Amino acid sequence: MIKCVVWDIDNTLLSGVYLESGAELPDADRQLTGVLHQLAARGILNALASRNPPEAAAYVRQQTGADFAAVECGWESKADAIARIAAGLSLAPDAIAFVDDDMLERAEVAARLPDVLVLTPDEAAEAPDWPQFSPAVITAEARRRSQLYAERRCRQAAAAQFGGSREDFLRRAGTRITIGPAGPGDLPRLHELSIRTHQLNSAGQPLTQAELSGLLAAPEYAMITVRLADDFGDDGLVGAAITTGNGASGGLAAPVPAVSLVVSVPLIMMSCRALGRGVLDALLAWLCRSAVADGAAELRIPCLISERNVPMRLALATAGLRAEPASVAADGRAVFSRPLTGELPRLPDWVTVE
Amino acid sequence: MSNEDVSAVADELRGMLAQVTGRPEVLGVPDGVRLFGAGVGLDSLAGALLLRQVQRRYGVDVAAEDLNLDALETLGTLAAFIAARCRGAS
Repeated sequence: MIKCVVWDIDNTLLSGVYLESGAELPDADRQLTGVLHQLAARGILNALASRNPPEAAAYVRQQTGADFAAVECGWESKADAIARIAAGLSLAPDAIAFVDDDMLERAEVAARLPDVLVLTPDEAAEAPDWPQFSPAVITAEARRRSQLYAERRCRQAAAAQFGGSREDFLRRAGTRITIGPAGPGDLPRLHELSIRTHQLNSAGQPLTQAELSGLLAAPEYAMITVRLADDFGDDGLVGAAITTGNGASGGLAAPVPAVSLVVSVPLIMMSCRALGRGVLDALLAWLCRSAVADGAAELRIPCLISERNVPMRLALATAGLRAEPASVAADGRAVFSRPLTGELPRLPDWVTVE
Repeated sequence: MSNEDVSAVADELRGMLAQVTGRPEVLGVPDGVRLFGAGVGLDSLAGALLLRQVQRRYGVDVAAEDLNLDALETLGTLAAFIAARCRGAS
C-alpha cells in the first residue's frame, strides 16, 4: 500500500519548467492536481522532490492548493531526497511512489531505491484506480493525515530546538497518552492500523474488520486502544493490543474469569507516526503492570521475526522481554516473555488509563 | 580483537548515531551508557536505522544474528559485537 507520493515539479505537477518560464510562470497540470487531491482525501501523503529553488515549491502549493508533507528542493540526487523524505516521515521505501517525467531521474531512483514504485506522469494520472492507491477504509485519522504530518513537522522543529532530554520534551509538549478498552466504533481504524503498520506490528498479518469484531466480542480476549495527543495536535487512535489469559479483562472493568499465571499478547500494533514519543514503551509498561494487577506471573508476546519489524523487537527488548533463539518457530515467530517480578518498566505520569 | 578495534568502531557508531537521530550531542555518549529507555533515550526506529547503517558499513546483520538485540544495550556492546564478527570474517 502506498502511503506517500513524491512528485517532481517541472513538466510533472507544472505544465512547463519553473525556471525557464520567465515572467509567465507555468500553470499546474490540471489532471495531476486532481490526483493530488484525490490521494490526499484517501489519506495518502503528497511530497515534492525537485531540482528547483524552494520558491518553486511555494508556487506549486499555491497553484494546486495541496498540502505537502515534505519538500526537498535542491540539485542533489533525487534518490537521496526520497530517502530523506522517507526517514522524516518514518516510512519504509516500499510505501513510497515517485513520479517524474524525466527518464534518467526515474532510472536513478529505481536503481538506488528498488522498493520505491517509480511512475511516469501518465501512469500517475491512472494511479487512483490502482489497488495500492486504494485503501479499503478511510478513517478520520486518514482524512486528517496531511494535517497530522504538518503538526509533526512543528513538533520535530521544536524538539530540535529543545535542549533537554526526550522525556523533558515530551512533558513540555503536554504529551497525553490514553490507554483504554476498544469499542465497536474503533474497528475501522483498528483494521486500518492492522494493514498499515509493519515496523511496529508484532503479528505481521492484517486482520479484517470482521476478524477484529469477533475478537472484540470474544470474552477470552481484551482489546486495548492507545490514543495520543499533545499541545501540537491530536493524533487520535495510534495503537492497539489484544491480550488473553487472566488479563482477559485487560485489567479494565470486567471481572477476571479464571486465574492463569500467564498473560499473552497475540497482537501489538502502533502507527510509526507515534514513534519517538514514548507510546509503545508506555503500552508495554502498562501491559506488564496490568498483568501483575490481574495476578499473572509472566507476560508473553509472540512476535514475527522480520527485517521490517526490528523496531518492534527493540521495544520488546527495552521492556525486558527475551526469547530463546532456539524457540523461533517454523512460521518465523518467537515468543518473547518476561517474569513480572523485580523492576517493571516505568509508566510515565502523562499516561491516563481509562 | 584488540581494544583499539572496538574503540574505533564505537567512534564510528557515534557518528552514525548522530546522523540517524539528528542529535549532534550523541557524539559525546560514553561507551557504557544504555541506548534505550533511560540513558540516551533512543527510540526504536532510530535503533533500526542505526542497524541498517551498521549492515551497510560492516556487513554485519545484527538484527538477524541477535534475536534479543542484546548487542544494542550500549555503544560498547554493539562495537564489541561488530568487531568480533569482522574479525571472525577476516
